Amino acid sequence: MRTIFHLDLDAFFVEVERILDPSLKGKPVIVGGDPKYGRGVVAACSYEARKFGLHSAMPIRTAYKLCPHGIYMHGHGDEYTLFSKAVKNILEQYAPLIEQASIDEFYLDMTGTQKMYGSMFAFASRIQKEIWERPGLPCSIGIGSNKTAAKIGSDCMKPNGITYILPGMEKEFLAPMPVETIPGVGKVMKQSLNARGIYRIGDITKLPSDYFSAAFGKYGIDLWRKAHGDGTEYLTIQRRRKSISREQTFGNDVTSEEELKNNLHYLAGKVCQSLRNKSWEASTVDIKLRYTDFQTLTRAKTIKPTDDDKIIFETAWGLMKKARTRRVGVRLIGVGVTNFSPLSEQEFLFEDYEVKRKKMMRAVTRVRDKYGYDSLLIGSAKLDKKISKQQNYFQV
Amino acid sequence: MPKYNIGTAGWFYKDWVPNFYPKSQSGGFDWLQFYSNYFNCVEVNSTYYTYISPKTVEGWIKKVSDADDFIFHIKLHQDFTHKRKYDEQNIKAVRYNLDLLRKSERLGGLLIQFPYSYLFDGSSVAHIQKLRDIFPDISCFVEVRHSSWKSNRAYEFFKENDLTFCTIDQPQIGQAIEFEPIITNDKAYIRFHGRNIEAWKKSLSNFGKQQTYEEQSSRYNYLYSPGELIEVEQKIKSIQQKVKEVNVIMNNHPKGDAVANAFELIHLLEDKTKVEMPGTIIKAYPRLEEILVN
Repeated sequence: MRTIFHLDLDAFFVEVERILDPSLKGKPVIVGGDPKYGRGVVAACSYEARKFGLHSAMPIRTAYKLCPHGIYMHGHGDEYTLFSKAVKNILEQYAPLIEQASIDEFYLDMTGTQKMYGSMFAFASRIQKEIWERPGLPCSIGIGSNKTAAKIGSDCMKPNGITYILPGMEKEFLAPMPVETIPGVGKVMKQSLNARGIYRIGDITKLPSDYFSAAFGKYGIDLWRKAHGDGTEYLTIQRRRKSISREQTFGNDVTSEEELKNNLHYLAGKVCQSLRNKSWEASTVDIKLRYTDFQTLTRAKTIKPTDDDKIIFETAWGLMKKARTRRVGVRLIGVGVTNFSPLSEQEFLFEDYEVKRKKMMRAVTRVRDKYGYDSLLIGSAKLDKKISKQQNYFQV
Repeated sequence: MPKYNIGTAGWFYKDWVPNFYPKSQSGGFDWLQFYSNYFNCVEVNSTYYTYISPKTVEGWIKKVSDADDFIFHIKLHQDFTHKRKYDEQNIKAVRYNLDLLRKSERLGGLLIQFPYSYLFDGSSVAHIQKLRDIFPDISCFVEVRHSSWKSNRAYEFFKENDLTFCTIDQPQIGQAIEFEPIITNDKAYIRFHGRNIEAWKKSLSNFGKQQTYEEQSSRYNYLYSPGELIEVEQKIKSIQQKVKEVNVIMNNHPKGDAVANAFELIHLLEDKTKVEMPGTIIKAYPRLEEILVN
């Protein structure tokens, strides 16, 4: 049996806005669009605004009709990210596994930590207190044996609540709640269930699963399982996979080898520039090749960690030559690097060729930072002036 | 918890009136004295541009006599760091003032700041070593701004020479070193330069040219937001067990932003629910009212 926490920051955007401007406390605050222009939806609203019937995802225009004296604002996206990260930093001190479901929602797998932290309820209250004291945000926590139960738990005692659904009691806990409490049951599903005389979660469990699979297919079975308190027990952990890549679609398909080479050299240089700016080295180089007929190939090779234009370009060009076996035009090429490590620290030991080159490349980076990338091109690197689209990708 | 010394880089800024210093000042009003009512340290930057007379230093000591634990961090003259041309006379001039402050227990340490272009290599290390030998008995805080210093070999050098590796928060341009506290002795020295990327870039391209005060200081024109302060608070607290003293210096001085942020950091880092502040700052930065002592 697992112990899953669902932590939800109450009216998160609004609470951050109140930290930025304390005079908003106690007032109906709505983060979303501007009602003057009638656009956008409510991204978040304070509990004071909810009293007027406002809720998230409601069109701003409707919200304005219900609560014309509310304070409407666009919000500070960067601040939300910072505060969300601050909360995550706190959680990382305690939880062995964290899944960040959204900017203001976290699942924690606390299985096996009882010996360390004692009662899970008391522990949840400790986390809640810590997040309240600093960064200064209220949150609700649900504790259950799976994600669905934990989420429903955190929802039902908002704001500032803690709900502990005892293991084995999920079905009983859920039974009296309205069907729309189940995550994923929206307006349409609710109407459809209500039309069948199903109003509470307990009504679902009274019926066999076949009934729901016949009515709603796969989704129906899922619903039936959730109503019984079943749900996913394991968190989805994001792996830190990073890549830096650049690709280029040609205005006119290219057949000349030299032109491909020049462009690839240019792209490789840009990739390396990003690498050096982050003080990283990469040990996997990959290329992408798309022919006129959209046949697309990718190839990769692992090398000694480097941030040198020359090495990365040569590796990429080697891969490209091998990959390009057809005599048709090329529509797109790309080069990317993955498998990063921090810049090697051995560089100043010996003043050999490699060290000198590294120093030179750093100087190149500085010139380019100051005067723009194209101020200094190396070797055959050349930009295709007819490029229709050049795309930069950072995957973090 | 270590001892926190939180203050600003300099106290004499005319644009701190009326946001910090009151507009109407009586004849006896003194800026440093007023400043020392609220903060327990200041970083002196004028010593970087000129060799200050001992009389001036004695004056400072007198002015802060009511503030028990107030200390001065002295920035080393540019002859030593940027021009790297100095003689015995220069050393004596710096030394004399440091000794004056030390005798009256007002000396924090010596800030040795190098420019962005100062890279980690053999000659740089040798130069710092030389400075260390000139001031062997003074706490030295060395600020380097280029990411080439992000290396275990550099940290080892700092540790061997009992030098504090300054942590700096600066606009992230090129290979600027990022905000990441590194501990090399029992002190931490953290400087905040603001995150005004555009103005910083502009000032880099005007480097060496004649500039007005406004042009010069515009790159420090930046008020840290509550979210950014929480972020740095978490990072600083993650190292506080490893040191005895943490010095935090706000250099985002235009208009008094540095003062406002310094008050907020006193609240966050020293875990003070309420902070003593003058009414002027509350008027200029209403969000501070939340942490004001009633």
